[in-house]
Amino acid sequence: MSSAIIETNGLTRSYGDICALKPLDLLVPEGEWLSVMGHSGSGKSTLMNLVGGLDRPTSGTLRVGGEELLALNEDGLARFRREFVGIIFQQHHLVPYLTAVENVMMAQYFHSVPDEAEARHALERVGLGHRLKNRPGELSGGEQQRVCIARAIINSPKLLLGDEPTGNLDNKSTVMVMELLKELRAEERFTVIMVTHNQEVAAWGDRTIHLDDGVLVREDRLKVEGKAG
Amino acid sequence: MAILYKLIPHLLSWLGILLVLLRGFPVRRTVVTVTGISGFLLGVAGALLLFRAFQGATPFWIIKSSLGVGFLCLWGVSVATVYCSTGRGAMLLWGERFATGSLSAGAVTGITAIVAGAVSACKIPGADGNALAYMALVLSACALTGLAPLLEKLLPASFKVSPSGMLATLVALLLFSSSSILRLDLFSPLSMKVMKGIHDFVHQFMESILIPDHLFVRPVVWKYIGFLFGKEVGFWGGIVIWFTPAILIALAIHFERLPSVAHIRQGAQRRRLLAAAIRERRYRLFIPALALLIFAAAAYQSSFPSVEYWDPKPLPVTATPSGEIIIPKRGEVDLEDGKLHKYIFKQGEREARFFVLMNPAGELTVDLDACAICKPDGYGQAEGTVICYYCKTLIPLETVGKPGGCNPVPVPFAERGEGVVIDSMTLINSWGATVKATVRAKEGAK
Amino acid sequence: MKRLIRTILAAASSRGVPPIVVGLFFLIYIGIAFFTDETLIALMALTGKSVILAVLLALIPLNSALRLLMETGRFLKKRKMFKEKATEAIPEQFDEMVELPASPHFAGLERRFAAVGYKTRRTENALAAWRGFTVFPARILFLAGTFCLFTGILISVTTRASHRQMVIEGEPMPTPEGIGGTVKRIALAKSNGLILARALTIEVAPSYSGEMDRIFGIYPPSLYRGSFVYPRYLGLDLLLQFSAPDLPGGYLKHIILNCYPPGKEDSKTISGSPYRIVFTIPEPEPSSDRYISYMARDKTLQFKLLKGEELLFSGSAPVGGEFARDGYRMAFPEARRLVVTDYIGDYGVFFIWATALFFFVAAVIWLPLRTFFPRKEMLFRYDDSGIMKAFSGSEGGRRAHAGIFHEALDLLGAGKIDTTDA
Repeated sequence: MSSAIIETNGLTRSYGDICALKPLDLLVPEGEWLSVMGHSGSGKSTLMNLVGGLDRPTSGTLRVGGEELLALNEDGLARFRREFVGIIFQQHHLVPYLTAVENVMMAQYFHSVPDEAEARHALERVGLGHRLKNRPGELSGGEQQRVCIARAIINSPKLLLGDEPTGNLDNKSTVMVMELLKELRAEERFTVIMVTHNQEVAAWGDRTIHLDDGVLVREDRLKVEGKAG
Repeated sequence: MAILYKLIPHLLSWLGILLVLLRGFPVRRTVVTVTGISGFLLGVAGALLLFRAFQGATPFWIIKSSLGVGFLCLWGVSVATVYCSTGRGAMLLWGERFATGSLSAGAVTGITAIVAGAVSACKIPGADGNALAYMALVLSACALTGLAPLLEKLLPASFKVSPSGMLATLVALLLFSSSSILRLDLFSPLSMKVMKGIHDFVHQFMESILIPDHLFVRPVVWKYIGFLFGKEVGFWGGIVIWFTPAILIALAIHFERLPSVAHIRQGAQRRRLLAAAIRERRYRLFIPALALLIFAAAAYQSSFPSVEYWDPKPLPVTATPSGEIIIPKRGEVDLEDGKLHKYIFKQGEREARFFVLMNPAGELTVDLDACAICKPDGYGQAEGTVICYYCKTLIPLETVGKPGGCNPVPVPFAERGEGVVIDSMTLINSWGATVKATVRAKEGAK
Repeated sequence: MKRLIRTILAAASSRGVPPIVVGLFFLIYIGIAFFTDETLIALMALTGKSVILAVLLALIPLNSALRLLMETGRFLKKRKMFKEKATEAIPEQFDEMVELPASPHFAGLERRFAAVGYKTRRTENALAAWRGFTVFPARILFLAGTFCLFTGILISVTTRASHRQMVIEGEPMPTPEGIGGTVKRIALAKSNGLILARALTIEVAPSYSGEMDRIFGIYPPSLYRGSFVYPRYLGLDLLLQFSAPDLPGGYLKHIILNCYPPGKEDSKTISGSPYRIVFTIPEPEPSSDRYISYMARDKTLQFKLLKGEELLFSGSAPVGGEFARDGYRMAFPEARRLVVTDYIGDYGVFFIWATALFFFVAAVIWLPLRTFFPRKEMLFRYDDSGIMKAFSGSEGGRRAHAGIFHEALDLLGAGKIDTTDA
């Protein structure tokens, strides 16, 4: 029985009068692939930001990887993000004038010890060994997203967060990216939390939770054959 | 209390010393505090005893020598540190054992505290009749010793002290403390010795590899060689010797080999370990950098001492037709008041500056306002010494009137009746010869 | 016994020896400084006389020589190792050493290394990869330079002998051991050298049959009968003829005048009389070199004649001419050029020159190699027990190289290497 990597109790986030996330109790076991579904404004991105240490809750408790995030100061939170979390966004946020390998090395700089060989290796793992020196503009959407995945896994995160990572991709590319994530997860054994409103993408996960207006409304546990790995 | 104001640099140094020691020996706080304050009191008492036992410059010489030995030790340690950190062989582990041993903590703290106490005591003029001042010093030191452990806890955790860095800072703080006391100052005499040392060395080196004399060498080349014979070389050479130990320690830390991470099979973890090692190494650089700053402050204080010199304007004197200059012992000025009295004598184009001074032994001396080795910038008088303005060397009053080194060049004179009689010809010639020799020497002839 | 010898050798070849010895000498220097102002000279004299100090100083060249041998041995061993001879690898020669269970599938690895500019050599169970050039030659030259420097200093302080002699045109060359060939000519000329402004040449005729003419210059000084000829100053050898009313017998003698350059005074007391003559060489025309002009052309000398402290008169006379007034007569029948020369018996000089050469070449090799082509190397060895030993090192500790090494280990460890041969 694996232990919980994420544990929330009455987790709440409000922006002024608007309550984006209503008291939420959530337990995510280590190694799970959790899909979070919901309409726009349902609170799924808010949840992801809180779990990734990008935002602070208004109330409640939030333990990620054994750390009580509320107790961390800004430096501690930055260290947590750097060493614990990898994030893939819908917008790839790659630096346009750097090559693929340099973009991946940018993430290494947060550890202040760049290692080109390792960055190259990470790109090879996502199937871009032949595109190391290309700039983002010279890569397809799927390839760009794969660079983002290489960047997200370069620091060997325990938790990989995806915020609509395939939102801009066609079907074929979406499947490729998801396959890749599945393979990497099998190797690296990280936990995945994937925010999406695409049912097919959500189906790659072990479990799906549905949020509506900041409240967890439903939970689906997927069949074993749908499981990753 | 004015004396407390005067003691501020010394008390600050003492506080700095305690903080560095407490951080350097984190598991020996009690040893550091107790040995520290006992050592300081012992140092003050020792200085008092020295002042009672010896007259004149001897107590200062003893304390100054201990500072010099400390500086030499720092040199030794810094070179050893560089050798250890660049070696491929096993790293020395004595650093760790050193930092945790109570014997090393006690010894380092004790010695430093004794010297710090003695140096501080030197700031208080006269051994007698200043009981209040000594009391103030001792009480402030005790208060600071009580305060230091509390202050140390406020220092950030990243403020790391390596054994060599600790030694550098301790020596720097002691030298900073002593540099405000003219008779304990090391930097200016060091510059002077370095100048002489470099001159000798370059000369011997050129002789040893048979370099031809300047008449055969291009003037432009000789100019560069001449720099080594110039006056600045002493200052710059002194600076190099002064700062090098701390720089070496910083370099040793900077070039320390990072731990091997080849056994780890995950890149991120390797980088995390290396980053941590680099960060830790960077933090340890802080202390040698601080030591450098303190050394700089000490050198500055030594080069521009905040002491006011007794430096009267030279009074013009004339010679009798028979060529004698007669200065009455008790006229407008009292020659026997133990102060420096400057005169200037002019004869046509030529002139000579000299001074009359009664030394502590009660003997009158007449000397040129110039020495045999420096440019004739003259002398000023501070407590117990005269100082050569050119090279900042302190000449104890006891030795004024004796020739040699940077001592003022003595002039023969006679005491006749109620006056001092000097032969004007001898004076002018002596001045001429001295000034000519020193100016030529400074212009770079081999 | 063997152990004792090994311990002594290890101590003598330790990197710590030079700083310790130099430090000790520095302490002695400080000690001497308390007693004399001529500290360095006193220290040199003391080292020359004291066997203990000489032996102490000799530890440094001994140390350099031992290190030179030791490091060469190690280097050759390492080379052999890279050439796949079965030599045990010495972990101290590398930055990192690691053991991991892996199989010797080197083909893919070799291609990866080649792609990032490494040269490789592969055998059945070992792979060596390297790029750049080692600074070992510079290191050897540096050690050789240190050896020469301290050997030179040691020889100099213990054996140096210096004799000052006057080398006079037309006279036999004096040497510490007797006389040599006749000095044919002394000339001073302008030089276009980078460092020297004037060139002095002393031509000496053979002193025995079979010897050639010898020409001595300024730098580097040449050897003559085992001593370096080290010209110091210029001067004149003047044949002075002088008579005065109260010295009717007159005075005729060669005198040596150290009156270079023009304007510098030198005086000569006429022995057995109250007379003293002060000589100077007149300043040449402003356009000409004040040293060379007088060495090259006919000479005129200025003089002042003093009787006691009283100046009788002053004047000038050319060489070969004379001056007469009030019963005084002064003539300079002959004046010859002269070089005040030191004969330095000191073979340590050769070593110090060699030092300069070694250090210079070492710097010229070291700087570009270390800056642009630092040596980086890796060695992977597989033994029968299924354990791979991997070594890596880079001169100057470049991290990029460590990254490549670690990546290779990752691939080997995960068994993710393309095992097919290219």
